[in-house]
Amino acid sequence: MLEQKKIGIPRAISYYNNYPFYYGFFSELGFEVILSDKTTTGLINNGSECVVSDTCLPIKVYVGHVLNLLDKGCDTIFVPSLQSTAHKINNCSKVRGLPEIIRNVVNRRFNMIEPTLDKTEGIGIKEFCKDIANQLKIYDNDIINLAMKKGWQMYDNFVQMAKSGISHQEAMQNAISGKFSLKNIDVVKPLSVVIMGHGYNLFDERISMNILKKLEKMGVKVYTGLNVSREEAMDAIQDIGEIQYWANELDLTGAAAYYMQKRKVDGIIALSAFGCGPDSLMVDEIQYHAKNKNIPMIVLTIDEHTGEAGFITRLEAFVDMLIRKKRKLIAEKANLKHMPEKINQNKEQVFLTRA
Amino acid sequence: MQAKVSKEIQLNKYSQMDDNIKAKDRIIAWPRMGRIDIPLKALLLTLGAKVVIPPANSKETLELGVKNSIEGICLPYKLNLANYIMALESGANTLMMFQAPGSCRLGNYTKMAQKTLKKMGYEFDMVIFDMYKSKMKQTLQAFWHVTRCINPFKYYKAFSLGFNKFFAIDEAEKQMFYYRPREIRKGEAEKYYNKWLKIIDETNTIMGAKTLVKKIKKDFKNIEIDGKKNVPVVYLLGEFFVLLDPYTNQNVEKVLGEMGIEVQRQIMFSGWLEHVLKPSIFYNKESHRERCVRYAKKYMKRAIGGECIETIGDTVYAAQNGVDGVIHLMPFSCMPEIVSQNILSKVSKEEDIPVITLVLDEQTGKAGYITRIEAFVDLVKRKKYKNQNKNLRERTTV
Repeated sequence: MLEQKKIGIPRAISYYNNYPFYYGFFSELGFEVILSDKTTTGLINNGSECVVSDTCLPIKVYVGHVLNLLDKGCDTIFVPSLQSTAHKINNCSKVRGLPEIIRNVVNRRFNMIEPTLDKTEGIGIKEFCKDIANQLKIYDNDIINLAMKKGWQMYDNFVQMAKSGISHQEAMQNAISGKFSLKNIDVVKPLSVVIMGHGYNLFDERISMNILKKLEKMGVKVYTGLNVSREEAMDAIQDIGEIQYWANELDLTGAAAYYMQKRKVDGIIALSAFGCGPDSLMVDEIQYHAKNKNIPMIVLTIDEHTGEAGFITRLEAFVDMLIRKKRKLIAEKANLKHMPEKINQNKEQVFLTRA
Repeated sequence: MQAKVSKEIQLNKYSQMDDNIKAKDRIIAWPRMGRIDIPLKALLLTLGAKVVIPPANSKETLELGVKNSIEGICLPYKLNLANYIMALESGANTLMMFQAPGSCRLGNYTKMAQKTLKKMGYEFDMVIFDMYKSKMKQTLQAFWHVTRCINPFKYYKAFSLGFNKFFAIDEAEKQMFYYRPREIRKGEAEKYYNKWLKIIDETNTIMGAKTLVKKIKKDFKNIEIDGKKNVPVVYLLGEFFVLLDPYTNQNVEKVLGEMGIEVQRQIMFSGWLEHVLKPSIFYNKESHRERCVRYAKKYMKRAIGGECIETIGDTVYAAQNGVDGVIHLMPFSCMPEIVSQNILSKVSKEEDIPVITLVLDEQTGKAGYITRIEAFVDLVKRKKYKNQNKNLRERTTV
């Protein structure tokens, strides 16, 4: 019975932001972490079969990943319920109720580890970790604290690396294998955009149709929520006169607001899943401010049927529009030196003829 | 992790009390939901305020709301916004609304409505009071703010009038639900209900308001009923606003009543209000929510906002108490109710109770809606009679 205990983590929802912490925590506790496979169309279909059709795409994907883990023979699965991440700052109901959905929708026997993080009710990250450990029948506080420390270390490394501009995938891999590298050289590209989207939509290559790489190929520098620190995002939200309401708001509104205020980007892309409640409000907020500040913005809605061709066309059209706009701007700037003289000449002429 | 945000967040950002307009010039309006206008009107008039009541929700209201709000937001917001616009058009200058952050998108309603209305060029004061854990104190504060009334007796009168009217309306509704499927002359129960709404509206003394419930109970007994009729009972569950607003749910209660079904609704405005506002010392019975948490335990371990846990808990309660079916109502893209919809299919199977989910949005066609209800009613009735016949047969064989 010396076999190492296994724990399965679905590659969806909180995986994309918090996996380094989970990995550090569980591996320090002596567990082998098993990830589900990358998202595929088949996996999404499996997930969709279990839930009602109104459910949004990320949840369908999540259910698909859980099924995938079960198929792999992993029978202990980690399904956290992240209720609120600060006082009265809540997540979307579906993220809050992930364990409830999984429990009632997946009709197989397995052991679900379902801790709750609810800062409104005073259940902080410490209680969250203790809850996990207790459900795994580990009761020694010292071991738990050590594991938490390891988790934080990996998480902090990941955040720092991702902020410096390393791609999400690479940063994740480096953080897990204990490497640390920063990107110092910033490649200058003709255009830059900020994408506001949840990590689980943006960094999932199937859901986002690889939008990051596609944009990079078009010669566009892409910023995401990972490139902005929490404090900066918080300040930016207050700067544009909004308040944080959703737990994910820093990644979305925060990032968009930050780059909008700094005037660092030429355009804003919003990537949201169809029927997403928080997104409908956050995107509207940013749209309102972008319109005032005259920054182009496009909203891309995705669901499980989104065709790649139409998606690319819209993206290309948007980038073309940005290029044209920038070119015009540069041309205007260049002409400005001569323009006043011309106008003056004309005025003088008019004046002279009148006189 | 998101938990690492170190910044202090202001605690009471969810309440807002503008003060640009003098108290005596205030003309107050609030969004409509069912008949809450009657008690609120009584409350504010007693405190000496002027009020404007926007017209009841209708097709025009919805069109106005849809025109001025974003696509992805849920139905209740669109109606609320239209109520505000109509009220402002007819002279209101102070808008009141309560808020409960941490539930769902409801917490964002006022913020967004305010922005939209300002953009449309209206000038007004917004008074928002937080109903999340501060309850009575903030509610009183809000009413003091809009009226500047300092007479404590008036507060006592206003709140007892308001509360008793809430109870009376709910009682009248309950009676109507009971008598509608059983009445011999069609439409009599509704006539009584409308008559009582008028009386409730006109009642102006505390004593009069306190006796309303008793009088209603007595008066409804005058309706002639068919005592032998076999009437199945169906629970109406789901999202708060959709349940309580007859326009939004296309008057499902009436449709069902006329098909010979007794409707019961667990979410009643007065019950909710009593639970939220009454200090816990005086509230010593088990509240509806606590009961739901208890019954939903098998399926849900935590509340996730909105009325999700109520829906699940009530369905289990219904199944264990011999209710024949459950109709679950929700506005399109309502986040908590999608979760409950997911869970309900399992509850329905394990507790053996028929459940139908009806999703409502601004495009719901009435014909398709009624067809589905009819089919469901047929199913419920057949199941009930089958069980009764089975019981009869068993009895005769024994």
